[in-house]
Parts: sequence; C-alpha cells; structure tokens
Amino acid sequence: MSDPLAAPRAIQGRAPDVFREGGWVEMREFSESEAVDFVVIGTGAGGGPLITRLAEQGFSVVGFDAGPYFRPLEDFASDETAQNQLYWLDERIVDGENPIRMGGNNSGKAVGGSTVHFAMVSLRFRPEWFKSRSLLGYGADWPLDWREMWDYYGKAERALSISGPVTYPWGPKRPRYPYRAHEMNGAAEVLARGAEAMGYKWSPTPLATVSAPRGDSPPCVYRGFCRFGCSTNAKQSQLVAFIPRALAAGAEIRDLAMVGRIETGADGRATGVHYFREGRWRFQRARNVVVAGYAIETPRLLLNSANDRYPDGLANSSGLVGRNLMTQSNQAVYGSMKDEVRWNKGPPSLSITEHWNYDDRKDFFGGYCWMAQGPLPIEWVTVLTGSLGLWGEQLRERMKNYNHQVGVKMVGEMLPNENNRVTLADETDQYGLRIPRITYSWGDNDKALVAHALDKMQTSMELAGVRDTFQQVDDTNHLAGTARMGSDPRSSVVNADCRSWDIPNLWVCDGSIFPTTGGVNPSLTISAIALRTADRIKALADRGEL
Amino acid sequence: MGTSKPTGDTATAIAVLSGATVLGGVALALRQPRAPANDTRASLLPWVERSKAPAVPPLDSKATVRAARRLNRAAGTIAASVLVDSAIEHYRGAFHNEAMVTPLISASLSLLASVHGTADDRRGAHVARDLVYAAAGLTGLVGTGFHIYNISRKPGGFSWQNLFYSAPLGAPAAISLSGMLGFLSERLRNNTTDSRPTILGRPAGRVIGLMTSLGLMGTVGEAGLLHFRGAYHNPAMYLPVTMPPIAAALLGASALGEAGRRKPLTRWWLRFTALLGFVGSGFHIIGVARNMGGWRNWKQNLLDGPPIPAPPSFTGLALAGLAALGLLEDHPDD
Ligand SMILES: Cc1cc2nc3c(=O)[nH]c(=O)nc-3n(C[C@H](O)[C@H](O)[C@H](O)COP(=O)(O)OP(=O)(O)OC[C@H]3O[C@@H](n4cnc5c(N)ncnc54)[C@H](O)[C@@H]3O)c2cc1C
Ligand code: SF4
Repeated sequence: MSDPLAAPRAIQGRAPDVFREGGWVEMREFSESEAVDFVVIGTGAGGGPLITRLAEQGFSVVGFDAGPYFRPLEDFASDETAQNQLYWLDERIVDGENPIRMGGNNSGKAVGGSTVHFAMVSLRFRPEWFKSRSLLGYGADWPLDWREMWDYYGKAERALSISGPVTYPWGPKRPRYPYRAHEMNGAAEVLARGAEAMGYKWSPTPLATVSAPRGDSPPCVYRGFCRFGCSTNAKQSQLVAFIPRALAAGAEIRDLAMVGRIETGADGRATGVHYFREGRWRFQRARNVVVAGYAIETPRLLLNSANDRYPDGLANSSGLVGRNLMTQSNQAVYGSMKDEVRWNKGPPSLSITEHWNYDDRKDFFGGYCWMAQGPLPIEWVTVLTGSLGLWGEQLRERMKNYNHQVGVKMVGEMLPNENNRVTLADETDQYGLRIPRITYSWGDNDKALVAHALDKMQTSMELAGVRDTFQQVDDTNHLAGTARMGSDPRSSVVNADCRSWDIPNLWVCDGSIFPTTGGVNPSLTISAIALRTADRIKALADRGEL
Repeated sequence: MGTSKPTGDTATAIAVLSGATVLGGVALALRQPRAPANDTRASLLPWVERSKAPAVPPLDSKATVRAARRLNRAAGTIAASVLVDSAIEHYRGAFHNEAMVTPLISASLSLLASVHGTADDRRGAHVARDLVYAAAGLTGLVGTGFHIYNISRKPGGFSWQNLFYSAPLGAPAAISLSGMLGFLSERLRNNTTDSRPTILGRPAGRVIGLMTSLGLMGTVGEAGLLHFRGAYHNPAMYLPVTMPPIAAALLGASALGEAGRRKPLTRWWLRFTALLGFVGSGFHIIGVARNMGGWRNWKQNLLDGPPIPAPPSFTGLALAGLAALGLLEDHPDD
C-alpha cells in the first residue's frame, strides 16, 4: 500500500477507486499548455460539487488539492492520533484577543476537503439569515433568495443522500430527506430528555452518512470514528459522493498539488495557476479560475497573488479580502450519568435542538443550536485537562468513567467584524509562500450569545439527570467569511454567482463567501451554493457572458 | 465505482436474483395446475375465469382435514420465520431482559405442533397442539404490549424514530398469527364428517380467509415500516408493500363474497405472494452483502443487515390464504 502523502495518486490517466481496495478508475488528463475551461482550487464542500457539476455540464475542469487522495478502506486507521494526516497543519500565525486554534477543528487537507473528516451534520439556514441585516438587524444581507436556496438545499441533500428525520421541526417545509434518520445513541437521548424538560423541540440530526446502502456505500456501522475519516464509506464526504461523479464526467483531479499563485494577463483577467506538484512548480492555463480553499487559504491565495496590476491582491478593490472572518462558538456542557451512556457509539451528533435559532426572545443577535456529543478518548482527555485541570490520578479516575460521560455542544453564530481577518505574515512555508496571520477577537454580542447558550445547555442537562456538570467555555469550530458575497462591489468581494467583481473570470466558491455564518454548521449551505453556482455558470456560458 | 447504484458483485447478484424470480414465476405459471376433484379443465391462463357455474360442493371430510393440515403448515412456516428472526434479534439485544427467551420457546413449540399437525390426518382437535397454539397467540399479544410499553418510555413516544428503532411492534404479532392459524386449524378439524366446516358457527373458509387477510395487512404494515426506514433504496423493496395488499384484498373479497366459485386470480396471486416470501429472503441475503465487509463479516452483518428469516412470514400467510380459498371454493355456504 503506497503512502498517500508521499506521491500523487491521481496520475497517468487514473485515480484511486475509493470503493475498492487497490482499485482504480479512469481519469481524463488535460495538458498544461492548453487552457481548460475551469481550474478549481480545493475539492471540499464547495469545490467538490462545483467540479462535478461543471464537468457534468460539459466543461473541461481540473480540480487541484494540496492534500492527498485517500483510499478510505485502506488508509483510515481507527486511531485518533494517526488520523492527524487529514488536517491542514501547515504553519499559521494566530493572534487577537481570542486566537483561533487551527487544525483538526476547522481545516482539512485532502481530496474532498474538510468533509473527509467533518462531523456530517447537514443543516439548512433559517430563511431570515439570508437577510439578517434587513430582517433581524445585524450582519449583512446575502444577495440570495432563501426560496431559491431551499431548492438547492434539496439538491444538495439528494446528492449527499442525507439521512434525516421524517419531519424536521423547525423552519419552512422541506422535502423528505432521501434517507431515514439514524438510530439515536445514549447521548442523543439525554439531549432529547433535556430538551423536552425545557419545553424545546428536538430532532434526530440530519447527517451525511447513509442509514441504508447507497450505491457502493454500505450503511453506517456506528463505530464513531467519523471525524477521523470514515473507513467504511458510509459517510458521504465529497471524496465519496461527488469526486467519483466528477471523474466519471471527465474532470481531472490533481492531488498533492498546492496552488501558490493565480496569474493574470495583460487584460487583467486570470490566465491560469502556478502550482507545486511532484517537486516542482508548474503552470496550468485556464479560461476561468475558481478558488475554493476555505476561509483561510482562499484569502491567502488571493493576497499572495498580488502583482503590479493588483498590488493589494486579486479581487480586492473593496479591501475586504481576508476581512470579516467568522468562526462559530463551540462551547459545551459535560457531565456524568448513573447509567452507561457509551457516547462514542455512532456519529457524534445524533440529536439536535435548534430552538434558539428560531426563538428571537433574547437580548443579543444571532442564534445557536446544540447537539449531542461523543468525543473519543484522546479528545476527552484534552477536554478534562483543559477545562477541569485534571491530571494524574484524578484524570485516570475520571477516564475510567468514560462510558458514563455525556454532553452537549453548541454551534453558535458569531457576528462578522472587519477586524477579524486573515493577512499575510512575513514568514514563509515549505513552498516558500507567505503564511497567513489569523487575527480574531470575540465581540460583546458573541460573548452574550455564548453565556446564554451555556446557561441553557447546563439547565437542560441538569433536568435530564446529568450530574457533575462542567462547562467547556472556549472552543470554536467552523470558519466562514473573508471573501463575502454581496450586491455591491464596494462592500463585497463576489456577487451572488460567486463571481469576483474585479476579475470576471475569477470566482470564489467555498465557505469564505458567507456574509454571515448563522447558527448551524455550514457545509450544506456551501455545497448548495456550489450547485447553484454551477447552474449559473452554465446559464452565463449559454448567454455568452463568461 | 458507484455513488448511486451498486456495482460489481452486488449488482450481479441483484440481477441474478431478479432473473431467477421472473423465471420462477414463469415456471409456476406454466405448471399444470392440480385440478380440483370436480373440475378437470385445467387452464394455462390462470387469470381467465374458467368456470362461471358454481362448482359442485364435495362435502368431503378429507378435504377439510387437508385444509387443516395446510393451515398447520402455514402456522409452522410463520413459526419458523419468527423463531429464527427473534433468535437473531434478541441475541442482538443480548437477551438483556429474561422475557426475551419467551418468543423462542413459544415459536419452537408452535413449530413442533405445526410439524405434528401437518403430518396428522385425523379429525378432531389435538389438546396439546391447541394449548401450544393458544400460548403462541397469547405470547404475541403480551410481547406486543411489552414493545408498546418500551416505545412509550422513549423520548419522542410514538414517533417515526421510535417506531423504526425501538422494539418492533410487528414481530411479536407474527407469533400471534402463527398461533391463530394453528388454532383455526384445530377448530377446522373439529367439524363432523358431512357438514360444511364451520368455526364458531361461521363458515370456516370465510373465517380463515378473513383472518389471514387481516394478518397479511398487518405484515405489510411491518414490512412497509421497515422498508420505509431503509428508504426503499432498492425498487424491489416495494414488492412486499404492493403484492401482498392485493393478495389480502382479493382474499378478503373472496371471504366476504360468493363462495363455491373458482377464484383463479386470487389463487395465483396468493401463490406469487408465497413465492415472494422466499424471494424476499434472497434479496435480504444480498442486502447483508451490501453491509460493510459483506458476508465475510457475517457475524455482524447477519445481525445488522436486513432480516433474512422475516419475509417467509408472507409465505406462511399466503399458504393459509390458499387453504382458506380451497375451503371457500369447495363449500358454497348459501
Ligand atoms: C472536525 C470538523 C468537523 C466538521 N463538522 C461539520 C459538520 O458536522 N457539518 C458541517 O456542515 N460542517 C462541518 N465542518 C465544517 C465543514 O467541513 C467546512 O465548513 C467545509 O468543508 C468547508 O468547505 P470549503 O469548500 O470551504 O473548504 P474545505 O472543505 O476545507 O476544502 C478546501 C480544500 O482546499 C484545499 N486547498 C486550500 N488551499 C489550497 C491551495 N492553495 N492549493 C490547493 N488546494 C488547496 C484544501 O486542501 C482543502 O482540501 C467541520 C469541519 C471540521 C474540521
Ligand atoms: S460511525 Fe458511521 S459515518 Fe462514522 S465512521 Fe463509522 S461508519 Fe463512518
């Protein structure tokens, strides 16, 4: 078995067949000197669906990813430590009052992007969030209409065979999820009891892992290693759900291919990308370039691509590239139950309450949800040492009680702030590229939201009979912002079609286009927008407007 | 490589099984039907009504006992299905409650009684069999009660989620069905030689036909619920929610309608439903292969995959339906 990190696997006209050990599938290859219709940088929640749909609509597409092309059946060990290989661990500088801990919690590096190790929670935005400035009084309006998004959410859910409840208790009506929700584990039931005691609705969580066979994916086996790479392919990551489709439709994927700079020509349009693969820098010519590297790497690449014509970086006439970085608050309340819970069984977030995303009777902006938890032992030790300061004998005793632990964790909306941003540091990385500096501070609203959530989570846990509760007060997770979409070139980087205002053949299609981040996990929204973008590109191409 | 349709061995297996099913159906349809005593005109076109005139009632006690034995066979088929199914399911549940062995004992006894009854061509109810069947009926009722109680304790109560994943309501009901059919069989045997067989004073064919029709609908409900949980990911999963309801309706109509008539369509539909029970097990065998590790990982996948022993419940009920139909066809009661 070859080392996925040692040398590219998608070469010589073939790519790994993720469904068969040692298997290969045919892959079309494009020449570097001939311009392809689209180069897409990043193959994650945004890049994956976009590459697929563009290829399926007949465009020539090359998808680049700095990460390796994993074979889930062979490469993924049931080992928390070994799976560090999935994360983007390149050097980054973090500062601000609340520096974001970067790595496993928020960035992946693999064909399939962060979805290879994401927790599969697949939620829709509350419709009002697309107009949070005009309807709710904070943040910024999206240039998208929620009804159109509702259609694209449906498409994304079908493409990913989301397993969800028969009826979802919040928001406008949505079509039935393609697969039924998974059985809830002990931790999910405790959340449900707590929610019922608070008078909140709760639901089994819609998840991107199948509850019945789908194609060559077997149903989930509930071993709970989802965030360390699912070794069964039950999980519908982009690596499993989209990339094979993309290859079948004639796209090329280049793994272990780090894009360092986007080139622009005399007319100011993008002409292609410089990328590092197999030990040297190369250049791929392209008629369009789409950046889909997520909220840190996307602005970094745009800024690193500065040239004489665009001294502040590409697509940056608004000065907003890298600004309005948002993360989501990810605080938790943990405790123990008298009975065994075995919270590590199954996907980690099997039940959810979105109550405070839909109830506006609170004195701060934004919303949050919370979900059942199931950290694996090493992560749990980290929580115990970090939040409780346990060590030595005490830690050992508490760990013995692992099967009785239970908890809930929030996903909370943080507000956009121009001073939370990604800039370039002077240091360079292994490719000789300037590394990102990530500056982040929580605002008063962010803190008020967290305090509210911790209080409600704590009460609900206690009402559910959880003892010895304690709070994890400082965690954050998903990222968004840094290349926001909007309807005005002065206050946004891209338009509703994810097309940059400044350079008509440069697009951004990932989590960085979010003007606000909402109180739910972002990937389904990213994928839905990518599906929409592919349709818009086709429509524009048909009208000769590319 | 398949993101929406299975490829490789699984696809081949599905194709082979589907082909075999069609062939089996054709073979069944071409088979020379065993002509009833009073009707020598065999038809190759079962869906064409062969005879408009009512058949001559034979009032034959042998036929009554034969019908009773068929019912024993039906009861035994269901008992066997329940026995293996509950053994697997309750093993999966680690027999965490002692009561979980009850269905195993009850289904085993029901199976034994049924084997005994199938071989027994004497008239008159058999006390031991009667007791076993009555106990099976009761076990099923109590089991259903238990399962309902379990669901009610879960957060969400009678929600889809709990209907999908908590102790299934339909499973204990199946052992009741076995008991019911056996019990009816014993009642049938209690009829005197020259009269038209009755149960509790009602024409036996009608009673058995109606009860079987209801049993079929209940079983359809169970299969429908579980196949909905599986999101009907394979089109074949629609078969048990489309074919048996029609069988139940046809049988119900026969049971309530005019007796003493040939019902070839009903008969054939019931036969196909009986076949479907076994085909279903075939599909479930493929379904097990579609779980992680396939059959190499049988220890786990037999427990987690679709239940292989469950579908023959349809076979058992269809056999009972055929027995009832025989009685209905042979005995005009008005
Ligand atoms: C542990 C964890 C759990 C999560 N759980 C959930 C969840 O349950 N639900 C949910 O909705 N979201 C979840 N998320 C978040 C979700 O995974 C991300 O929001 C989403 O994947 C972001 O999509 P993206 O397309 O913007 O970027 P990504 O999916 O991160 O993809 C970006 C890709 O671009 C590549 N790349 C970047 N720069 C370059 C470059 N210069 N050259 C070449 N390649 C490059 C990277 O290698 C990466 O593969 C989770 C994230 C993590 C880390
Ligand atoms: S619990 Fe399910 S989704 Fe998670 S790693 Fe295991 S099989 Fe994959």
